[in-house]
Amino acid sequence: MTARQRWIGWRSAPFAIFGIAVLILLGGIAVIVQNEWTYSRARVEQTQGLSDVLAASAAAAVDFNDLVAAQQAVDAFKVNNQLRLIGVYGRDGKAVAGYDRSGSPVAATIGSMLPAPDNVIRVHSPITQAGQHIGTVYIEMDREAPSRRMARYLLLVGLFVLAALVVASIGIAQLQLRRANRELESRAEALGQANVLLEEQMEERARAEDQLRQSQKMQALGQLTGGIAHDFNNLLTVIQGSADMLCRPDLAEPKRIRFAQAIVQAAANAAALTSQLLAFARRQPLKPVQIDVNALIAEMRDLIDRTVGERIEVLTELHPIECRVQADRAQLQSAILNITSNARDAMPGGGRLVMRTRAFRAGHDATMIAIEFVDTGSGMDPETMDRIFEPFFTTKATGKGTGLGLSQVYGFASQSGGDVRVESELGKGTSLTLVLPCVEADGLAVHIAPVHEVSQQQSAAILVVEDNEEVGAFAETLLSELGHRVTRANCGEQALSLSRKRKFDIVLSDVVMPGMGGLKLAQVLAEEQPDLPVVLATGYSQEIAETGSGGRPVILKPYRLGTLAEALANAMQSSPRSPEETS
Amino acid sequence: MSGLRALAKASAGAFLLLLGVSTAALAQPTDTAVKAAFLPRFARYVTWPSAAMPKGGDPFLLCVVGADPFGTMLDDAARSQLIDGRRIIVRRMDSAASADGCQIAFVDGSKAAQALSSLASKPVLTVTDAASDGARGIIHFTLSDGRVRFFIDQALAARRGMTISSRLLALALGVRQ
Repeated sequence: MTARQRWIGWRSAPFAIFGIAVLILLGGIAVIVQNEWTYSRARVEQTQGLSDVLAASAAAAVDFNDLVAAQQAVDAFKVNNQLRLIGVYGRDGKAVAGYDRSGSPVAATIGSMLPAPDNVIRVHSPITQAGQHIGTVYIEMDREAPSRRMARYLLLVGLFVLAALVVASIGIAQLQLRRANRELESRAEALGQANVLLEEQMEERARAEDQLRQSQKMQALGQLTGGIAHDFNNLLTVIQGSADMLCRPDLAEPKRIRFAQAIVQAAANAAALTSQLLAFARRQPLKPVQIDVNALIAEMRDLIDRTVGERIEVLTELHPIECRVQADRAQLQSAILNITSNARDAMPGGGRLVMRTRAFRAGHDATMIAIEFVDTGSGMDPETMDRIFEPFFTTKATGKGTGLGLSQVYGFASQSGGDVRVESELGKGTSLTLVLPCVEADGLAVHIAPVHEVSQQQSAAILVVEDNEEVGAFAETLLSELGHRVTRANCGEQALSLSRKRKFDIVLSDVVMPGMGGLKLAQVLAEEQPDLPVVLATGYSQEIAETGSGGRPVILKPYRLGTLAEALANAMQSSPRSPEETS
Repeated sequence: MSGLRALAKASAGAFLLLLGVSTAALAQPTDTAVKAAFLPRFARYVTWPSAAMPKGGDPFLLCVVGADPFGTMLDDAARSQLIDGRRIIVRRMDSAASADGCQIAFVDGSKAAQALSSLASKPVLTVTDAASDGARGIIHFTLSDGRVRFFIDQALAARRGMTISSRLLALALGVRQ
C-alpha cells in the first residue's frame, strides 16, 4: 500500500463508519418491520385458527338451531381476553350466538355488522357440514397495542441505536483525530520552518561572532605590536644615539662612561619590557619559591612608600598567615609595585592606600591568600574595568605608562594558579585583590643568596653552544674579557663531538636550537661526563616553562656581564671538577 | 283433527315466509316443524357403511314408516338440504319391509316396535319420538324445557356399522355408549 492509498483509506474511514452506522439503523428498522409483519401474520393466522375451531365446534348447534349449545361453544372462547367479539351466524345471516367483550349485544345480522376498527383483526370462517354451508363465524381479535409492541421492540431498538451511536461516536472520534492530526502536522511543519530559520540565524550569529573575534584579535594585535614598536623605538633611539656617540674617536672618558651607561639602562628597560610581555603571555619562566607574604610586604614597605610618595598614606593590615605562597619572588614584587603605582596614579591629589592580607579557604582543602589593595582614588567606569588587563591599554598620558603593569599582574596571577579581582566605582576608589594559592610551609627558610663577588682570577675552558652568530660572538667576547678560554659550537651535535675530543670545565648552552636542543645536550653530557657542569641560557623556552631545567642553572637573556660571570662561577664552584689555574 | 291443525299451522308458516318476515322473530315454530327440520339434517352427521350408501348420484332416502306427523313440512325441510352434494327424498311407507334402501327411517305409530325390530339388523338410522310412547330408535326425540332435544344410542348405531359425528353427539341430551 502506498502512502497516498493509505492516506485516502484513512481519510474515508469516518464516512465508512457513518455509512455503517446508517446501515445498522436501517438493518434494525428492517428487522423490526419484518418481525412486526411476521407477528401480525401469525396473529391473523392464530385468529383464523380460533375462528375455524369455533366454526367446527358450533356447526351442529347452528345446524340444529341449538342456541344454548352454540352459545356454550362461543363461551368456551371467552377465556382468551384478547378476543373482542365473536359472532355466530346461521345460513340466513342471523345471529345464533355471540360474545362482545364490551357487554353490548352482537350485531343481529351479518349485514348490520360495523366495519372493524384499525386495531382489530377480524376474520370469519364458514360453517360447513358435509359440504353444505350452514353458517358463518366472525371473530374480532385485538391487535397488540402499539405501546406493547413498542415495549417488545424497545430493547431491540435500544440495542440498534446503541450500536449506531457507538459506531457514530467512533466516526466522530476518528474525525476529531483527523482534524487534530492535520493541525499537528501543520504545527510540526511550522516548527520545522522555525527551526530552519533559527539554525540559519545561529549560523549567521556564529559567523558574526567569528568576525567580531577576528576583528578584536586584529585590534589587540595591532595595539600590542604598536605598543611594542613605540616603546622599543624609544629605547633603540637611546641605544643607537649612545652607540653613535661612543664611535667618536676623541671622546672624553666621563662622556664615554655616560653613553655606555645610557645603553645599559635602555637595554635593562627593554629587558624589563620583554619580561613583562612574557609574564602577560604567561610564558615567563618562573622560579617559584615559598614566600611569606607578610614578610615580603614588610620588606617592601619602604620601597612602596617611596613609590607612592608622601601625599598618600599607606596602611597595612597584615593578618597572621600560617601558609606560604608558592610563587616567583621577583614577579610577585613586580606585581605589588605595579598595583601600588596604579593606586598612586589614581590619587594625584593624595589619599589613602590600604594593603591587607588574609588567608581563606576555597573549596575543600585549598587555602588561598588574598592581598588586597584598597585606594581612595578616582575609580573606574565599567568600560575601563573591562579592559584594564589588556596589554598596552592605559588611561595615562602618552609616555607616562606602558600599559603592561596590570597585564603583568594578571599573567603572573594566572600562571601561579591564582586570580585577580577588581571592584571599582567611578569616584569612589578601587579595590584590587591578588589571590594566590597557599602551601603549607615546609620549614625551609627562603633566603636570597648573597651576591658573591666573583673572583676573576679563575680561568676556565668554556664551551659556548649558540646557534645565533651575534649572540655567540658576544658571549665569546664577554667570556674572553673575563679571562676564560672559549670554544664555540653552533649546534648540539657539534658541541657533543667537541666535548668528546677535548676537555672543558663548563658548558654554556642555548636552549632553543635547531636539531639537538640545549636540554637534550645537557642530558647526554650528564650521562657521558656527569661532573661537567652545564649552564643553560634562554630568552624564552616552552620546554623549560613546562618541564623545568632539571635542576640546572638557567640564565635569562638578555643577560648582563655580572649575571653571566656569577652563574658560571656558581656552577663551577658546586662542581667537583676544579678549573685549572691559568693566570 | 291434529292433521288439520298441523296443516293450518303449516299454511300460516308458509304464508309468513311468503311475506318475507322472520318466522323466528314473530312466531315459535311447532315442535313437529322443528323435528321435521331436524330429520334431514341428521344425515350430515352420520357415516354409513359404503354398501348402505345411495348408488352413484342417487339421493338419500328419508323414509317415514307408519304414521306421518309432518306432512309437507318434512318435504320442505328436505328440499333445502344437500348431503355432500346429494339431495334428500322423502318416502312414506306403511311397513318397514320396503325400508331397506332408506338411510334414515322415522318410525312412528302403533306398529313402531315391529318396524324397529325388522330394521334392527340393517344400517338404517332409525329415529323415534317420545311423544308416541313407543320403542326407541338410534335417535329418539324428546322435549326438554320446551325445546326439542334428542337421545342418541351410539352403541346401536355402531352395531349396525354407522358412525355418528361427535358434533351431533355433543347436541344430544344423552348418549348411550
